[in-house]
Amino acid sequence: MTVIRVDDVYKSYGTVQAVDGMDFAVERGELFGFLGPNGAGKTTTIRALTGQIRPDSGTISVLGTDPTDDPLETRSRVGILPEQGSPPSFLTPREYLEFVGIVRDLDPEFVAERTELWADRLGFRNKLETLHTDLSRGQQQKVMIAQAFVHEPEVVLIDEPLANLDPLVQEQVKRFLLEYAADDNAVFVSTHNIGVAESICSRVGIVVDGEIVAERPLEEGLEDGSLLDVFLEHVDEAGARDLPVADRVQS
Amino acid sequence: MTAGDGTTAGREQGGSRSVPNWTLFTTLAREEWRLHTRLFGGWRFGLFPVVVAGFAVAASVALTETGTAAGTVARWGHVLALGFGLYSGTAAFAGSDMLENVFGRLSLVLSTAATLPLSRTRLLAIFLLKDGMFYAAVILLPMAMGAVPLARGADSPVVSGPLAVGSESALVAVPVAVLGYWLSLSLVFAFGMAVTVALVAARSRGVPIRLVLAGIGVVAAGAWVAGVGGHVGRFLVPTAALEALAVAVTTIAVSTAALRAYDPTYARPTRTASDRFARLHDVLPVGDEALVAKTLLDLSRSSGGVWKPFVSAGILLALVAALVGVVAAITGIEPSPGIFFGGVLGLSAFTTYNWLTEFDSLESYLVYPVSVEAVFRAKRTAFVLVAVPTVGAPYLAAVVWFEATLLDAVVGAALLGGYALYYYGLTVYLAGFSPNEFLFDAVRFATFTAGVAVALVPTLVAGFVVVPPSPTVAGVLAVAGLGFAGVGVVLSSRAGPRWERRHLEG
Repeated sequence: MTVIRVDDVYKSYGTVQAVDGMDFAVERGELFGFLGPNGAGKTTTIRALTGQIRPDSGTISVLGTDPTDDPLETRSRVGILPEQGSPPSFLTPREYLEFVGIVRDLDPEFVAERTELWADRLGFRNKLETLHTDLSRGQQQKVMIAQAFVHEPEVVLIDEPLANLDPLVQEQVKRFLLEYAADDNAVFVSTHNIGVAESICSRVGIVVDGEIVAERPLEEGLEDGSLLDVFLEHVDEAGARDLPVADRVQS
Repeated sequence: MTAGDGTTAGREQGGSRSVPNWTLFTTLAREEWRLHTRLFGGWRFGLFPVVVAGFAVAASVALTETGTAAGTVARWGHVLALGFGLYSGTAAFAGSDMLENVFGRLSLVLSTAATLPLSRTRLLAIFLLKDGMFYAAVILLPMAMGAVPLARGADSPVVSGPLAVGSESALVAVPVAVLGYWLSLSLVFAFGMAVTVALVAARSRGVPIRLVLAGIGVVAAGAWVAGVGGHVGRFLVPTAALEALAVAVTTIAVSTAALRAYDPTYARPTRTASDRFARLHDVLPVGDEALVAKTLLDLSRSSGGVWKPFVSAGILLALVAALVGVVAAITGIEPSPGIFFGGVLGLSAFTTYNWLTEFDSLESYLVYPVSVEAVFRAKRTAFVLVAVPTVGAPYLAAVVWFEATLLDAVVGAALLGGYALYYYGLTVYLAGFSPNEFLFDAVRFATFTAGVAVALVPTLVAGFVVVPPSPTVAGVLAVAGLGFAGVGVVLSSRAGPRWERRHLEG
C-alpha cells in the first residue's frame, strides 16, 4: 500500500530550480532512502511533503492527505525530524516532549511513559532536566528523534537521521528504524551518506538536481555494482561535482 | 623539524601575528556589509541611511520651529546615540544567550578564532572597532544631518562650540556643524559600546552583571543626590573639545581594560530546571497554552530573565521623564503626564515583542501540526501577559510621581493600552518573527516610523496644548486609543496569514 506519492512536482526559489519534476512512491513497510549530494533538492522535497512549503506544480499525497491543502492534517499524522532541528532553546527534554504531546493532543500519561522509554533507549535519562541550550548537539539530536516518534506515527520523514550521534547510538537508531519500518510503517530517510543508506534502506532513490535519476532495491544486493558506484555514476552524469569523495575515487 | 623546513615557515605564516589587523578589519567589514545587504535586500538597506537622515532633519526642523532650543535638540541626539551604543551591546551582552547566537551564527569570520591560529580577544577588538565604524557611517552620520537646520542660527551650540570654527557663513558652518555633530555623536556611541563590552568582560570573569548594574545605579543616584549630575550630562554631550577629549580617553581606557579582562575561555555552567512547563500550561487561562507557555519559559530562562523587557521599558520611562522635565523648562508648561507617558511608553511594545521572538524561529514550529496563525496568536497572548506589568508598573509610577489628574491618568492608561497593541500589530505585520533585523530595511523602517508618528505626534501635541486635558479632548484621545487598539488587533491577526503565505512560497 502506497503511503507517500509524489507526482511531477516542481519548486523553484527565484531562478534556482530546487525540485524539477520529482516522481516517486513509498510503500508501507519500506525504509526508503532519498539519497543525493548537497543541494540536490532533498530538504525542499521533505518540506513540501510536510506542507512547510507549497510546490509550484505537481501533486503530493501522504497517508491519503494532501500536505499542500491541509498541512496540519499531514503533520498530525506523520513524524518529522528536520535536518537542523533542535528542541526549543530553554525547555528541558522532559518539558519539550510534554510540549510536543500537547500540540499533538496526546494523553499526558502516555507522553510521560514514552519520555522514559526514549530516554532509556537513546541514553539521555540523565539529561532530562538540563536546558536544551546546554545539551550537546548529539544529545539534542536524540531528543529530536524521540519527538518524531513519540506519537507512534505510521510514516516518519527524517532528514539526516544519524547526524551528530556517536557510533553506539547510531547502531541503536539504525536497528530501531529497521524494526519500525518492518512493523507495517514507513520511514523516509533523506541523506547524502551512502553508508547510512546502504546499511538501513530497503530501497533508495538517487536524487540529483531536483529529480530522481535512479531507483534501486537494496535488500537483495545490487546487480550493477556497489551503491557508491551507482551513486557516482548518476551524480557524475548529472554534472554534480559537490562531492569530495568523487574526486578521491576518480584520482 | 629544522628552522628552514616548510612546516615551521607555514606555522609562522599562519600565526596570528602574521595576519595584518587591516586584513582582518576589511574582511570583517566586507562580511558585515554583505550580511546586511543580503538580510535586508540590497537597495532597501542602501536606502536606510537616507531614511534616517530624512527623519533626523524633519525632527530637527519640527522641534526648532515649535520653539525647542537647538542645544536641547542636540542633547537629545546625544541621548539617542548613547542609547543606541548601549543597546548595540546591551541586546547582546545583557542577554548573553543572544550574544552567543549572534556571534556564532552571523559572524563567520569572528568564529574562526576557534579554528584558526587567531587570538579571539584580538579578533573581538577588531570586530568591535569595525562595528563602531560601521554604525557611525550607516546610522550616526545620517543622524548628524539633523544638525543642518540647527546650524542656521549663529548661536547654535553645534556651530559655536569649540568643535566648530565659529564661522557665521552658512556655506562653511553647515558642513562643519554636521562634521562636529557626527564626531560628537560617534564618541558618545562608542562610549556606550565600551560600557557594554566592559559588562561582558566582567561577566566572563564571573562578576554577576546584576551586581555591576546595581553599582552603576547607586553611583548614578549618588551623583544626582550630590548635585553633580550636570557634569555627567556635559560629559555625555561632548560638543566642546575638552569634553570630547575626556570621552575619547575614557572610551579607549574602558575598552582596553575590558578587552584585557575579557576571558575568551569563559563557559557558562550547565543549567537544569524542574518541570515548570506542565504547571504553567495548566494555569494559563487562554488558548494556545502550550505555545504561550513555551514562549514565557524561553523568556524567563534566557539570561536576564523576565527583567529584560522591564529594563527596556524602564529606559523608555527615564527618557520620557527627562523629556517632560526638558519641555517644562523650555516652555514653562508641564505637559499632561498621563497622555505623555501613555503615548510614549506604548513604544516598548517593539522591544517586548523583540524579546519574545529572540529564542525561536517560525520554521521550528512547522514540524508540528501547528498553524503559523496559531504561533502568531500565541505570541500576541504572551505579549499581553508580559506587557501589562512591563508598562503598567512604570506608568503607574509616572502618573503618581508627576501628579497627573485622575482624568489625565485614565486617558493615559487608555492610550497606553491602545497604542501598545497598535505598535505591536504594526511590528508583527511588518516584521513577522524578526523585528530586530527587518527594521534595518529602509522601506519597512520608514513605514513603521510613519505608522508610529500617525498616532504619537498628534497625541503629544494634544498633551502639550491642553493641560490638563478637557473632558472633550480626553474623550477624543480615549476613542483614539480604542481605535488604534482595534487597528493593532486587526494587523496582528493578519500577520499570521501574511507570513504563512511568505513561508509557503519559500
